Amino acid sequence: MVLILALILPGAVGLWLLGAGRQLSHRQSSMLATAASALTLVMVLVGVATRPVVNAPWVPALGLRWHLAVDGISAPLLLLTAAIGVLVVLHSGRRPPSGGASSIFHGALLLVELGALGTFLVRDAVLFFVSFELVLLPMWVLITRFGDAHDSQARTDAGGRFLLYTALGSTLMLVGILLLVHDAGTADLDQLAVRAGSGIRHQVLIAVLLVVGLGIKVPVFPLHTWLPPAHTIAPTAGSVLLAAVLLKMGTYGLVRLPVAAVPAGFTVVAPFLAVAGVAGIIWGGLICLVERDLKRLIAYSSVAHMGFVAIGLASGSRTGLQAALFANVAHGIVSALLFFVVGGLKERWGRVDLGVAHDALREVAPRLGFALLLGLAASLGLPGLVGFWGEFFTLYAAWSPHPDRSTALFRAVAVAAALGAVLSAGYALRVARLVWSGDRPDVVDAQPVTHTPEMAGTERAVVLTLVVGALALGVLPGPLLAMTSGAVDALVGGR
Amino acid sequence: MSSASLVSFDYLKLTPVLAPALGALLVLLLDAIASRLRRLHFTVGVLAMLAGAATALPGALLPGSGRSLSLCLPAPVGACLWSAGPVASALQLGALGSTLTVLLLLWPGHASRLPALRGGPAVTVALLLSATAGACAVAAARDLGSWLVAIELATLPVVVLVALRGSDRAGAGALSLLTTSLVSFALLVVGAALWLVATGDATFAATSASTAWSHPETRAVLVLAALFLLAGLGFKLSLVPFHTWTPQAYAGSSEPVAALLAATSKIAALAALLVVLEPLTRLGGGPSATSVRLVIAAIAALSMTLGNVLALRQEDPVRLLAWSTVAQAGWVLLPLAALIPQALGASAGYVLAYAMATLLAFAVVTVHTGRALTAYRGLFRLHPLLAGLLAFALVSLAGLPPGILGLVAKIVALRPVVDDGLWWLALVAVANAVLGIAVYLRWVAVLFGDPATDATPRIARSSLAALLLVASALVATSAAPQLLLGLLG
Repeated sequence: MVLILALILPGAVGLWLLGAGRQLSHRQSSMLATAASALTLVMVLVGVATRPVVNAPWVPALGLRWHLAVDGISAPLLLLTAAIGVLVVLHSGRRPPSGGASSIFHGALLLVELGALGTFLVRDAVLFFVSFELVLLPMWVLITRFGDAHDSQARTDAGGRFLLYTALGSTLMLVGILLLVHDAGTADLDQLAVRAGSGIRHQVLIAVLLVVGLGIKVPVFPLHTWLPPAHTIAPTAGSVLLAAVLLKMGTYGLVRLPVAAVPAGFTVVAPFLAVAGVAGIIWGGLICLVERDLKRLIAYSSVAHMGFVAIGLASGSRTGLQAALFANVAHGIVSALLFFVVGGLKERWGRVDLGVAHDALREVAPRLGFALLLGLAASLGLPGLVGFWGEFFTLYAAWSPHPDRSTALFRAVAVAAALGAVLSAGYALRVARLVWSGDRPDVVDAQPVTHTPEMAGTERAVVLTLVVGALALGVLPGPLLAMTSGAVDALVGGR
Repeated sequence: MSSASLVSFDYLKLTPVLAPALGALLVLLLDAIASRLRRLHFTVGVLAMLAGAATALPGALLPGSGRSLSLCLPAPVGACLWSAGPVASALQLGALGSTLTVLLLLWPGHASRLPALRGGPAVTVALLLSATAGACAVAAARDLGSWLVAIELATLPVVVLVALRGSDRAGAGALSLLTTSLVSFALLVVGAALWLVATGDATFAATSASTAWSHPETRAVLVLAALFLLAGLGFKLSLVPFHTWTPQAYAGSSEPVAALLAATSKIAALAALLVVLEPLTRLGGGPSATSVRLVIAAIAALSMTLGNVLALRQEDPVRLLAWSTVAQAGWVLLPLAALIPQALGASAGYVLAYAMATLLAFAVVTVHTGRALTAYRGLFRLHPLLAGLLAFALVSLAGLPPGILGLVAKIVALRPVVDDGLWWLALVAVANAVLGIAVYLRWVAVLFGDPATDATPRIARSSLAALLLVASALVATSAAPQLLLGLLG
């Protein structure tokens, strides 16, 4: 019951806002959306604590059932999504969105949250595909209507590219799911995980289809080209949802579908996934060293972080899976923090071009500067912050992968990934130098940017919450690891 | 002399055909008696549709192997010339429902901005009802003669309806449609003759088809017959390369008649195709079956791709919907490339989902009367209901949530292809799903933004009834797809 309410609430309020909420002012829609997302967070908390199960038929002709449940793998992601949902609505409440009605904006936010929560709750493979697709249209509306106000052609391009690439990925995933369901005779994710691939004939083909399809969403190099434009053009709330919620759906899908259901086929695909992951880390790092648009830089750093998650999944060992799940949550918190801060900077400055001279943040807005610095430190994997554990465990898991994998290849991948981590330190310090301490940039453009008001009110509360989260999980990773370990053991088993 | 007739009539089971046919006659009679009462003719039409639907529904609720039988020959032959299973009855329901919507769209009234078709309301209603009678008849026809007559009955009145608009473009569209129909009828007749030669049986019976399949000489003739019949029906379904009449005919006719072409005619053509393919799904494999499957797969792939690519370039919404019909016809044919029994229900389910969404889109275009995409700019601000319905229809055609029915229909269509192992076709379908999203969302994007004029379209009550009828069917089946898929057994 709680699970159904947790889904119905954002869905109903979101649809109502989209349809009938035109007359609402910005404050009213913001308050309504805040109330809805806060209630959803409460229900998700109750659901994670009590772990109820829902199992009712929906479309018997297709074998589709409303099978919803919470387990150790989905619990952290559910909490992350619900929390980010509240933070995003609070952060957007400060000023009306540009480009359209506020009710449509908040309605779209709530519907994206609905799709993400649905993806993490469902236990049926075909229903997983349906909720996977649910987020596409609201996010497209957010990007094309409420995105960067300067360039409408760029908005259309970025939104169209996001929609079409992601739809291609999920339709490929659908073909893989249909083949899996045909071979296994069941669409239930729990039963597929228990079977672990026995009796499935086309394991390699299924694994290839699923990994390529989900790899577009994760995103895995070289299927990542939709991400930088989408993150850059989207409004702050949209970028945060994209980075902290939508990308997690891709990696969650990788865990639930290829890793759990067709492990033998995944073993064949894993080396390619690992190499693609490390290529993403190095490629993202190199681009970030020279990128001028700060939002685009953070987007490429997201590609690099997801490369670590990909390596952790590809390694196939228990540690690797734990590392991937931890890095998933870590990236959610860190990228949300960075996108909130950089989004705030974009609202103040109009654009975040590193080629333009700025006031030093440490002088004019020290708290905002501290948040930026902490986010960059977590992004590069500084010990004591949440980013460290994900990267550390991933490198450890890549160094000693599952016996099925080629140790030499994975050790080479681990070395290259460590070098990529050095690159991330490089670009993080570059951004800190240019933005936080106000060094003269290499390319001086037009007029220097001034007028940087300090964080206040809601913005400070939102950023502070994420800072505390990054610190707390960095110092005490134990509870999160304990939450996922039971389910990981069940998946990876005695391997 | 014995008073027993040649076949046994079960009139109640025949009502899906008799109701529209008798309605057409009644309308013409009423026109002779009282020609001033325009709405009476349309009321008779609506009642005929409802009566037919009420009697087709029990057939749709039968289990998968159940059949509603009538026109049965006496023993020892015992074959029934009217055999409507759940799939056929569901298609009959679809045809009746879509003609009901078109009747509501064509309803004469003061607020209706459409110029009435030439010939008067009686002729319009009589033609609509005859076409529907043909559509319902072909779904359940089992012998070659009735099948041929029924498919022509479903086609020719629509040609006249296209021409009755009276403009030059309508005349050109009707002419292309007429020549296409004649060519397709010729192909169908040759195909039927070859079927008779191959099986020696003037019915589409599974037993005689499998007997013909077991001998190599008759197998070749049977394959040729199937290909001819497929080609003839390809014209009516707007499949590539038989599709060239579609944009011209749709653009020339008035919008409700284009809706009829897009919905009822497609349902009738698919029903005819399923009658032909049903015996072939029970045969074994082998290279001959592979050749038929390959031809079907190639036609489906070409239709999807060409339809989507050309729809991307259209600026006229009716032409966009015409090319989208070509692409969706490819999707309708897609599951039949597997030639397994489950594919028949999958194809029927897809055509019904497509028909509902396309009808809703055409209904909005009829009410709005804008013939350029730019005329729809800012419709969300001007008239949120109309824009919301159009967006819902387009999103259902694209197969994205909240158009859940379209999404489920794509899953249903892809499943037989994946089950049968036609990987290349599945990949082509994936690419076309993405292309389709681009096609329809291009129009949805236009609906946002600032409107160019302040003119709000006025909706007549009958058109509103049509919109709400189709919209509620689409919403209900999106929330509970089992409502549609359960009808298919």
